[in-house]
Amino acid sequence: MGRLRRLAPYLLLAPGLLWLLLFYAYPAVQMFLVSLWTGNITDGYEQTFNFGIYGEGLSTYWPFIVRSAAYGGLATILAFVLGYPLAYTIAFKGGRYKNLLLFMVIAPFFTSFLLRTLSWKIILADNGLVLGPLKDAGLLGDDFRLLATPAAVVAGITYNFLPFMTLPLYVALEKVDFRLLEAAKDLYAGPWRPGGTIFGGILGALLVALVAIILEANPVVPAVAGGLLGAAIGTFLVSEAFVRITFPLSLSGVFAGSLLTFIPAVGDFVNAELLGDPKSQMIGNVIQARFLRITDYPMASALSFILMAAILVGVLIYARIIGTEELTGGRS
Amino acid sequence: MTDKQLNIELTRRRFLAGSAMAGFAAFLAACGTSGQGTTKPSTGGGATTPPATAGATAAATEAATQAPAATGGGKLNFANWIGYIDVDDDNTTHPTLDKFTEETGIEVDYQEAVDDNETFFTSDLQSTLKEDLPSGWDLIVVTDWMVARLVRLGWLETINVANTPNFPANLLDQYKGRSFDPDTNLAAPWQSGMTGIGFDQKKTGPLDSLAVFWDPQYKGKMTYLTEMRDTVGLAAIKLGYEPETLTQEQFDASIAEIKKAVDAKIVRQLQGNSYVDSMAGGDVIVAMAWSGDVQGLLVPDQADDQDFQWALPKEGGMLWTDNMVIPKGAENKGQAELWINFYYTPENAATIEAWVNYVCPVKGAREVLLADDPDIGNNPLIFPTDAMTPLLHQFRAVTAEEEQSWGEAFSSVAGF
Repeated sequence: MGRLRRLAPYLLLAPGLLWLLLFYAYPAVQMFLVSLWTGNITDGYEQTFNFGIYGEGLSTYWPFIVRSAAYGGLATILAFVLGYPLAYTIAFKGGRYKNLLLFMVIAPFFTSFLLRTLSWKIILADNGLVLGPLKDAGLLGDDFRLLATPAAVVAGITYNFLPFMTLPLYVALEKVDFRLLEAAKDLYAGPWRPGGTIFGGILGALLVALVAIILEANPVVPAVAGGLLGAAIGTFLVSEAFVRITFPLSLSGVFAGSLLTFIPAVGDFVNAELLGDPKSQMIGNVIQARFLRITDYPMASALSFILMAAILVGVLIYARIIGTEELTGGRS
Repeated sequence: MTDKQLNIELTRRRFLAGSAMAGFAAFLAACGTSGQGTTKPSTGGGATTPPATAGATAAATEAATQAPAATGGGKLNFANWIGYIDVDDDNTTHPTLDKFTEETGIEVDYQEAVDDNETFFTSDLQSTLKEDLPSGWDLIVVTDWMVARLVRLGWLETINVANTPNFPANLLDQYKGRSFDPDTNLAAPWQSGMTGIGFDQKKTGPLDSLAVFWDPQYKGKMTYLTEMRDTVGLAAIKLGYEPETLTQEQFDASIAEIKKAVDAKIVRQLQGNSYVDSMAGGDVIVAMAWSGDVQGLLVPDQADDQDFQWALPKEGGMLWTDNMVIPKGAENKGQAELWINFYYTPENAATIEAWVNYVCPVKGAREVLLADDPDIGNNPLIFPTDAMTPLLHQFRAVTAEEEQSWGEAFSSVAGF
């Protein structure tokens, strides 16, 4: 009896571990070996342990990795900016519609990823639902387009991964003890001024400028507009109780949500392929082309590992900065 | 011809030339079936299990060794592309295949298993053929350059032309003695297609020069193809080179020419078959396009303000061919030869052609169609005129090293 009890955790772990071993660890090792092949598809490959391929891959394709990190990071930030108010509203103001609202967040997932992305091609078409009326009204030039631009790629990624951000945020916010907020109010926590104005202004300006820079637009005007909007939100919508209680308590959701969004976003290739132009392809597209188009399996494998390592390093740094321990469960 | 798998990039193929499913729907359908979609003809035992059941195998093996198989019956495992053979009205049977079975007693397991050359190579050929095992297929349809690769690898059976009185006898002369098949006994052309200018004439007016692909007037409204041989081929022709004899320097110059248009952002995207959707939606008005797509996919659904046309550039265009080949160690080689012979009968080729709408390589099919259906018989996209023939170029066979380094060079200019 006691013995079984001691074994229980291992038995419970076994199916999951086995699954990972079989479908993650084993293929990963295989792929690592493939990355150290030399040869081509016609003459065959040899296991040569050519580690130089990693240096070569990194030096040739680093711009794609940087671009992917920028697009993925930007999409994560945008998903956060969109997802946080959404999760907050559902958690605190959802009332009896909570489940319905949550369902609506997840509903797009009932459609395939590919279809959802393809539908953007229709929505954002040069004379489609969005741009058509704006062009007809003379607000945009005839040559303006969103499809086949970096903006479309980032927008597509943001859209596709928004639920990954929203749900963990919701879970974290849902757990916030309402009595703490009441206590804060009793202790004279009011609107966050002037902190909200200053902080909101700076954050808004930086954020919008960042978006503009990554999308290769002039950042000045957008930054001013973003700053004003941020200041307004900070002044009128953010309370001290939120800053001191709600937000810190939701950090675990921020952490989980941003990782769940960022990691797949960096490796994504579907959005760049369907919505991007030749100048906005991501590292995922390179890997895909290496595997299937050029049949250069070693380089494709090496790039996959480089990407994995790069993401791992990025995530570790991020975890370090945010200080995971107290966020990912230490709190309880 | 498209090397991309997963789905997205649909293969250039004609998902259904001429059928009710149009652009977008076809795109989605192809998404769903690509890659893993192939059903092996063999019994479920895995890639190495030879197909066919015991009884049939005995007969088949017999037939294979003592070709001609005459009317010996047996089986034929035939892998082809989607929308590449005639179907009856309710899309369930293929009349031409039924006729073949009637005439020969050979049961055909016809699978639309080839979604993309590269994927089919990886999933259905490579693992078995490299171990000298039969692939499970007796006849497959792949594009020129893939044939060239298979020849290079020594993975094809020679077609015993003594068994095929119609082939190469009824093969149009320009297909004979191609660089990868000098004796015309490895690859029997199935259909060809041309790569040229697809455009919406209502927006662009008539077009006939390759210069249009570098014209800033169409900036952001134009796509190139992800197919290296098509895009580089057209760039080479524009520069006055012959794709048949492209040298490394000429290749580099062609890549530089493509890069100019990409860097100037004239090129909106490089696309596979999805360029059809971009054109149908109006985002793209000029595209490097395959002849059969405009005919079969774009024109039937065009809006009132659209007028889709396909033109062979006056400087020349690309011609590519999908070929029937017999993979090494095919169990039913004799049956495959019988089918090739059957296809190369003008009447049979004409029946398929009337449905498929690509370029027909069979002599005499045109005459049959001129009598039956002059619209098809006189369509220059299906039967290119004599004036067009000298303008059609074929990309030369490349070495293994070139295949990789050229692919890389093209990829990098394409942005990935």
